[in-house]
Amino acid sequence: MASQTTIIGQSVPRLESRDKVTGRAEYIHTMQLPGMLHAKVFRSDVPHGRIISIDTAEAAAVPGVFGVYTGEDIKKVIPEPYYGPAFHDQPILALDKVRHVGEPVAVVLAEDPHVAEEAAQLIYAEYEELPAVYDEIEALDSEAIVHEELKPAGTFPDLKHLAGRRDTNIALDYHLRRGDTEAAFAEAAHVFEHTFRTQQTMHTPLEPMVTLAEQREGRLILHSSSQSPSFVRIEISRLLGLPENKVRVRVPFLGGGFGAKVYIKTEALAAAMALLSNRPVKYAQTMEEQFYTITKHPCTFRIKSGVSEDGKILARECEVWWNGGAYADIGPRVTQKSGFTAAGPYDIENVTIDSYALYTNRPPAGALRGFGIPQLVWAYEGHTDLIAKELGLDPLAFRRQNILKNGRPQAVGTELVDTEIDGVLEELGRRMNWSTSLDKGEGSIRRGRGIGVGFKASISPTTSVAIVNVNADGSVVVHCSTTDMGQGSDTVMAQIAAEVLDVQIETVIVVHPDTDVTPYDMSTLGSRSTYHMGHAVRIAATKARDKLAEMADELGLPEGHNVPVNELFIRKFGMQAGNVVGSGYYKPQYAPTDHDTGQSPNATPYWMIGACGVEVSVDTETGHVTIDRMVNVADLGTALNPEIVATQLSGAAVMQLGFTMTEDMVYDAGQVTNANLADYKIPGFFDIPFDMENAVIEAEQKSGPFGAKGVGESGTFGVSPAIASAVEDAVGVRITDMPLTPEKVFRALREVAGQPLQEA
Amino acid sequence: MMPFELAEPASLKEAVGLLDADDPTVRPLGGGTALMLMMKSGLFAPRTLVSLQRVEDDCRRISASDDGELTVGALSPLRALEQSPDVPAVVRKTMKTLSNVRVRNVATIGGSLAHGDPHMDLPPVMIALGASVTLMGPDGERVVALEDLYEGYYETSLAANELIVSLSVPLQNSIRAAYQKVTTRAADDWPALGVAVSLTGEGDAIGNATVVVSAATEKPIRLAGAESALSGANLSDDVLRRAGDAAADEAELITDPQGSAAYKRELLRVTVGRAVRAALDGEAG
Repeated sequence: MASQTTIIGQSVPRLESRDKVTGRAEYIHTMQLPGMLHAKVFRSDVPHGRIISIDTAEAAAVPGVFGVYTGEDIKKVIPEPYYGPAFHDQPILALDKVRHVGEPVAVVLAEDPHVAEEAAQLIYAEYEELPAVYDEIEALDSEAIVHEELKPAGTFPDLKHLAGRRDTNIALDYHLRRGDTEAAFAEAAHVFEHTFRTQQTMHTPLEPMVTLAEQREGRLILHSSSQSPSFVRIEISRLLGLPENKVRVRVPFLGGGFGAKVYIKTEALAAAMALLSNRPVKYAQTMEEQFYTITKHPCTFRIKSGVSEDGKILARECEVWWNGGAYADIGPRVTQKSGFTAAGPYDIENVTIDSYALYTNRPPAGALRGFGIPQLVWAYEGHTDLIAKELGLDPLAFRRQNILKNGRPQAVGTELVDTEIDGVLEELGRRMNWSTSLDKGEGSIRRGRGIGVGFKASISPTTSVAIVNVNADGSVVVHCSTTDMGQGSDTVMAQIAAEVLDVQIETVIVVHPDTDVTPYDMSTLGSRSTYHMGHAVRIAATKARDKLAEMADELGLPEGHNVPVNELFIRKFGMQAGNVVGSGYYKPQYAPTDHDTGQSPNATPYWMIGACGVEVSVDTETGHVTIDRMVNVADLGTALNPEIVATQLSGAAVMQLGFTMTEDMVYDAGQVTNANLADYKIPGFFDIPFDMENAVIEAEQKSGPFGAKGVGESGTFGVSPAIASAVEDAVGVRITDMPLTPEKVFRALREVAGQPLQEA
Repeated sequence: MMPFELAEPASLKEAVGLLDADDPTVRPLGGGTALMLMMKSGLFAPRTLVSLQRVEDDCRRISASDDGELTVGALSPLRALEQSPDVPAVVRKTMKTLSNVRVRNVATIGGSLAHGDPHMDLPPVMIALGASVTLMGPDGERVVALEDLYEGYYETSLAANELIVSLSVPLQNSIRAAYQKVTTRAADDWPALGVAVSLTGEGDAIGNATVVVSAATEKPIRLAGAESALSGANLSDDVLRRAGDAAADEAELITDPQGSAAYKRELLRVTVGRAVRAALDGEAG
C-alpha cells in the first residue's frame, strides 16, 4: 500500500473538471475548419440486398451540394476499402451488397449540413432483396448468408485458419475443454440446465461519433472522437498504403465512449471524403445514427451444471451464441476473450465451453463496457441462484462453497493471482446484511434481494508506450495515447508521473492523444489503461528520474542532494534550457490459448472482480420493480484515486441498470423502430437506486503499477442477475431474458398464478 | 432541416391571419418543444412558422375571476401553471412530473393542449376539472369544452387557421382530484397510461366522479362506466374494483412501444382505484 504522504491513493480532483464545467474543454463536434464540408449519409432501408442501382442525380442537383459519393467512388482513392480489427469485412460505403438497415450507402457533401441532409433524402437506391436473418440461433443454419466468404484481418494469429471459409455465418468458434464433463455429469446427483438471453442495446455516448478529416502538408489529419488513435492511424495507413507518419490522428476529450469509439467508426469515411473532395470534411453522427453504427451483442447462453449431493459443482457445460450483426468489428474477440470465463468465478474441475460469433443482418455489435461479460454473468449467476433455490441452499452459502480462490486455476488454465473473488463476495454479503432476514413487504408491494458476482480477464497481450518529458523549470509533460473519455485517465497518469518524480500534481500536464507526439497505445478499452499505460508512464517517469540523477552525478552532486531540478538544468546548460525525456513501454506476458482445448497457462495479466447486491420492491399489480438499495463491491487492486474509482463503479452499475431494466433496441423486419432517446430509454435520475454504496476491498495487484488493476467495467458485472434474483426472491418469478420491463414481470406473475394475460 | 420563413406577428389576430387552413406546412410556433423535435427528425418540414412569442401580454396572464374561474393565457409557459398559487394543486403537482424544468420553462399551455398527442399530461387533468378553451379563427372566437377538442390520435377540432387564446378552469372549491401517470420504460418517460379523476363529496362519500384516461388511448377520454360506478358511492375496495373493472371494460386501448393493450388494460384496472384514493387522500383540488 502507498503511504499517506504520496499522491497515490489520494482522491486528487480531476484535472479537466474546471474546463468541462466552464465549457472550455475541446470536443471535435464543435470544431470548424475553413472550407469545411459536412458529410451526411444515405443509409440502407433494407436488411439484406444486392445493390442494383444508386441514383444520386437529384441529390447532386440540390443547390449548395458539393458532391455525392458511393462505394464505387471510394474505390478511386482506396482500392480495397474494407476495414475491421478482426475481419476486413466492412466497406466504407456499401459495395455490391447491403447487410443491415442503416448501413451507409452514399454520402452527400455540402458546406451547409442542412443542405447535405436534405439532399441525402433525395438519393434513391434499388436493391434485390435477399433473405435476412436476425437471430443468433437461426443464423447458425439459415438460408441467409451475410458474408459469402470470411476475411480475417490477419492481425490475430488465431483467426488465420478462418481465411477463405465460405457459406457460414459463424465468424469464429472458440472451444474450451477441461477435465471430463461427460463423466462428471454421469456422476452428479443433480443436473440443471437453463437458457438465458440478452437483448441488443447501444452505448449512447452523449457526444455522438465524429471525425473531421483534412489534408495538409501532404498528410492526412484526422481529428476524431476515438478511443483508439493508434489503431486508427495504423488502419487508415493500411487502407491508403501510406507510412504511419503520413497519417496524424488527434483526439481531445470524448463525451463518453464505453467501447463505441474503438477501432474505426467515423474515421474511414471522413478520410475518404477528404481525399475525394480535397476539402476538410466533418462526419458528425446524430444520436440516431449511432444505433446503426455499433451496439452491444445480444446473446443466447445455454448453461448446464452437474452438482453433487452436498452442493459442489462438479461439471459445467456452456454454449454461447453472440449476435454480432452484419460486421464482425471486435466481436470475435468478445467470443473468445470473454468466452473463456463463461463458466463463472467458480472452482469447477470439468468444464466445456463452446462460444460462437455469428453474423446476422442487424447493425454491428462490438465492445461495450464489459466486453461480453455482463451477458455471461446474467446467465451463470441466474443459473447459480436457480440451482441454489432448487437445492434449498442459501445463495451466498452456495457461492461460498464453490467460489474460485486465489491460487486456483480458472477454467482456461490460468491460475488466479492477487484475485480476491471470495473477498469481494464476503464484503458484499456483509454490506447486504445477508445473515439478517429482509422485510418481505405485504399487500401488493413485495420485497426481495439478490446478489451477483462476475469477473473478467484483461484483454491480452497489448502494448502501451509513454514518454515523460521534464522541462528545464522542472515542470512535467506526459505524452500518452490514452483517451480521457470521462474516466479520469489524465488525472491518474499525472498522479503516477508526479509520484515517481516526486513533484506536485499541478506540475504535471498530460498531452492528449496526437499520433505525431504521443506514442503507441493499443486502445483505451477493456479497463486496461491504468494497468498498461500506468505501467508505461511509471517506467518512463522512472527513466526520466534516473536521467536527472545522472545529470546531478555529472554535475558532481552527491547522492541525496537537495538541489532543485530547475537548478540542475541551469548548472548543466548555463541557463533555463534543455529537457530530460524518459520513455517506457509495457507489454505483459501472455500465452495464447490452445486451438483445441482453449487452455492457456497465462491468458491474462490480471482479473477484475465486480459484485452487486440489490434490494427491490415489486408492485404485484403492475409489475413495476423499484430498486431500493444497491451495493457494488470490486477488487481492483489498490485504488490510485478512490473518488474516481467510486464514480467508475457507480457509473458502470447505473449503465448496466439501464441495460437490465429499460434499454432495448426494438426491431420490425430488421428496422430499429426506437432509434432515438425518446423511445430508447436510458436511466434517468429517478431510475437510480436512492440508496447506493460503492466499495472496494483491500487488495493489491502486485504486478500492477502501485498495486492497481482496472475498474472501468467491474461495476457492470453483477447488476443484472442480482436484480432478477431479487425479483424472484420478492415474487417468485424468474426472468431469463433481459430487459426486466414491468410488462414482462407482470406477465410472468400472471403465468405463475395460472392466469396468463390474454391479448386484448 | 431546410430554411423556412419565420413570422413574428404582434397579435393573435394577426397570427391567425398568417395561418392557412389548407396548408399544413404553415404552423403556429409556441414554445416549440414538440415542433422542433418533429422538424429535427424530418417528420415536419415547415414553409412558414408563425411564432407567437411577440403577441400581446394578455396571452401570458393567469387570472382568477371573482366567481373563482381561472383563466390561463395560451402563451403561459407550463412553469407558470406549476408556480401559480391560483392553480389547483392537482395541476401544480402534475406539472412537476411533466418532462423537465427546461421544457416547462418554454413549452406553452396552448401548444400543450393543441398538440393532440394522447401522451400529454395536461389534457386529461384539465378535462377532469371541466376545463374549456377559447379558440380564435378568422371568423372570431368560439368556446369548446376541452374534452371535445380531441378527436383522435394527434387530431383535434382546431382548424389549421385557429389558435387557442386561453384555457378556462371552473372553480374547484370542493373538488378532490388526482392524476396518476404510469410509465413503463423508465421513470422519466411519456406515460403508458394517464388517469385523472375529480370527485365531489366529503370524507369517504363520493358525489360526482369524473374519470379521464389518456396515453393508452387514441385521445384523452372520459370513462362513463367508471364514473357511474363511483358516483354516489362510499369509498371501499369493492367500489374501486368495480370502477377499475368498468374502466378496463370500456376503454379502447392501443398497443405501442410502451406496452401491449392487454397489459395497459390491467394497469388501468388498478390505476383508477389508485387515482381515487390519491384524490381522497390529497389536498382539496
